[in-house]
Amino acid sequence: MTLRRDQERLAHLAMNRFGLGAKPGGIARIRDNPKAALKRELEKTGIADITNSTLPSYVQACQVVHTDFNAEHKLKEKELTARFNQHLKPEIGFVERLVLFFSNHFSMSILKDGAIRATIGQLERDVIRKNVLGSFNRMLLGVMKHPAMIRYLDNEDSIGPNSTSGINWGVGLNHNLAREILELHTLGVGGGYTEDDIDGLAKIITGWSFVRGWEAAGKYNGGNERNRGQFIYRKDWHEPGAQRVLGKLYGGSGVAQGESVLSDLARHPSTAQFIAFKLVHHFITDDPTPAMVEPLADAFKSSHGDLKAVAEALIDLPEAWTLPMTKIRTPYELQIAQFRALGRIYEADERWPFYSSLNTLRNIPWERVTPDGYPDETQYWEGPDAMRIRMETAPINSYSLLFKGPFKTAPAVLAGQLFASAISKASLQAIANATEQYVGIATLFMIPEFQRR
Amino acid sequence: MSSFDHSHELPALDPRVAGAAAEGCRESRLLLSRRSMLGITASLFSSAFLPDFAKADTDPQARFFIVMLRGGMDGIGMVIPKLDPHYEEMRRELALPDSATLSLGSDFALHPALSTVHAMFGASDAVVIPAAGLPLRNRSHFECQDNLENGLPANLPNATGWLNRLFGALPAGDPVRKRFGLEIGEAPMILRGPEPVLGWSPTWYTKSNPDVLARLEPAYKSLAPELWDSLQRGLAADALATASGAGTSNEISVLRKGFIGAARLLRASTGPRIAALTVDGWDTHADQGGAAGQFRDRLAELDVALNDIKAELGPVWSKTVVCCVTEFGRTVRTNGDSGTDHGVGTAALLVGGALKGGIVGDWPGIAENQLYEGTALTPTVDLRAVFKGVLRDHIGVPLDILNTKVFPESAAVKPLGKLVDSPVTTTARVAASSSPLTNEEVAPIVRYRKRYGS
Repeated sequence: MTLRRDQERLAHLAMNRFGLGAKPGGIARIRDNPKAALKRELEKTGIADITNSTLPSYVQACQVVHTDFNAEHKLKEKELTARFNQHLKPEIGFVERLVLFFSNHFSMSILKDGAIRATIGQLERDVIRKNVLGSFNRMLLGVMKHPAMIRYLDNEDSIGPNSTSGINWGVGLNHNLAREILELHTLGVGGGYTEDDIDGLAKIITGWSFVRGWEAAGKYNGGNERNRGQFIYRKDWHEPGAQRVLGKLYGGSGVAQGESVLSDLARHPSTAQFIAFKLVHHFITDDPTPAMVEPLADAFKSSHGDLKAVAEALIDLPEAWTLPMTKIRTPYELQIAQFRALGRIYEADERWPFYSSLNTLRNIPWERVTPDGYPDETQYWEGPDAMRIRMETAPINSYSLLFKGPFKTAPAVLAGQLFASAISKASLQAIANATEQYVGIATLFMIPEFQRR
Repeated sequence: MSSFDHSHELPALDPRVAGAAAEGCRESRLLLSRRSMLGITASLFSSAFLPDFAKADTDPQARFFIVMLRGGMDGIGMVIPKLDPHYEEMRRELALPDSATLSLGSDFALHPALSTVHAMFGASDAVVIPAAGLPLRNRSHFECQDNLENGLPANLPNATGWLNRLFGALPAGDPVRKRFGLEIGEAPMILRGPEPVLGWSPTWYTKSNPDVLARLEPAYKSLAPELWDSLQRGLAADALATASGAGTSNEISVLRKGFIGAARLLRASTGPRIAALTVDGWDTHADQGGAAGQFRDRLAELDVALNDIKAELGPVWSKTVVCCVTEFGRTVRTNGDSGTDHGVGTAALLVGGALKGGIVGDWPGIAENQLYEGTALTPTVDLRAVFKGVLRDHIGVPLDILNTKVFPESAAVKPLGKLVDSPVTTTARVAASSSPLTNEEVAPIVRYRKRYGS
């Protein structure tokens, strides 16, 4: 009996610390070996892929860029619907959590421009998901050569001062993308770079641009309707000559010069440490120690940035199975967990109330305004106002999920299916005491075991 | 780049907050929301809260609200330049006849939807600045909103907000600083940065059922007492912000609820002194309307909401300045869709009992050859001069802090004087060492690397 309780506690950890929340009966299905269940998810072919033939290819998504707001918006909503329903499929959802993690690592906001609005879903499917158990280097390159990131961090008009166009037009560099690559995407703050390195990298990626709507329509700057929205390398804008970054001189020319720096950055020890720190910070604790960070960083380094190896190292961390669950689900993760708990799917026409609590709690996907992504610090999400709103919106979410179709299970029974023995008597009592079903389900959403992860 | 003192980030207890808690800033303890970058331990605030309106002699009295009108508010639609002979020809169907407007004297008039503001103007409680603008004039919502809120001479990626830097630059223990800034609803960039921020959101949801919460209490108290404590403070703050009266009704808009709640939280003697609010919906590219229509409706709601602030503040209204500003104005000419497009200069509206009242700043004219880049109103007043004038004379922030920390490299932009009735002296404060200009210095990885090495 004690043994089973222990196993169910570990299964609960797997479902919530690593996953997106249990489905009914999920704990019972993985309790024999929760760690192995997590690793099985990593082995499952195509686990991260969204198979939906109606979603656009890169070229198709780019065709929508700067056409009209509604077309861009509709495509974004379609992508989000597919994304959300993908979260609901796997038993645990560890890989989905990794997708969300890396999507947030390369955070962008669709509020900034239509090029981002139209292509961010395609980027997430074809760059983040395709590499989430693969090469960090390929993910980094794919993101940086994508119109969404080029536009989000203002590289489309970055022109080398000594390039042909720079000399003719007297225009210059934009450091934004180069700065954030070093600060947010690879080495991280304090990772050993200087302003000169930012300047060198910025020069190397001059000319990395995309075809804007007016360029496609008017056939300006190499644009036309066929390459509308796509990444384009503008040779005349590229700063000529070799540049120094982190002490190394990068010669070469064209896009290859930039690809070569990015590849070095992707396997830099500071990058390994930064990604490792962020994963531990996201999944386990607000206070990662070297004992937790170094095994992941080592896996990153020895595998040359193989993210599957890093994910395995995370599963193998002893602290992942012993530290108490003190993190709190983000509002978005909470929505997913609620859908999974009731076995519902998301339909595109129910934007409200799905987005209502996300809006009030400021956690709408792809709408983080700043490039640092939604914070992982627990305290960001559990402030007084946020806690009050979490409680206020639980009944709305419960009511709308029940409204979607028949649901016969009593709330306390559902709690048993979701938590097995890994729920406190007090929480179970609170759920059981509710007189109406939707209040009971709301109470289930409100208990600390459901809020925490 | 400034050198930010990280030494206080390492312990779990943030001394800035510990100090405030010890000195009894109770509203602040309620609301402390970790939307800014640093962590604060919630268990610091375990004591139960009761609203306290007791007045301490050392309390700073001045209140300051900044209201950001998002989307680019049409200044010429709000403050009509009666004096300008080109007004009707430029505005065509959007032009209002003189008889339909609310007169501000011989030169300007207000849109008829602003009847409360008009009355405030008559009582010398409103300052109208017809042609204000930002340093950045590229007409991008995204970048100009950032520029309005980061207070910099130009764009800087991932910058902190100028209100956050103001709190960081005030000395520790300063009575304004220790009450923190309050954000209503969204978390605007203006308060973003390392300094703690308070937050309250107006919502239309049904309030949590006390019976359900009572059933949850035992579980939370044993499993997650810090979450329970946080929730209790959130509930208490919400109760304070929405206590009896208009604030509780769903008959009124979330916008008005936000204004009412902000006023209630700032009215309390121990509450915050500075609040930031945002109002969406000013991007009127088509069918803007004149005396009726969408623009009129926005103004009317703003007018009511400003009146709400006045009503809720009661006697504190006389100590108050509310600045309504926007990221840019709109094209002077009406476009082909009976709307207006992104422009540059625009009106700024200040209301509050602490103001002297009147019209401030020159009118640049809207003849063809007077327009900015041929299409927009040319700003004659830098918004930073307005903010600096209010912060110096109303809040008492020394000019050197304003010139270097709050609005860096802005010494050439002189504060607008004579905005408020009785300017306070500013000699009492010395700037705190520094506050960072960008968020990068307060990232979690920085704390880790400082503690354990790279």
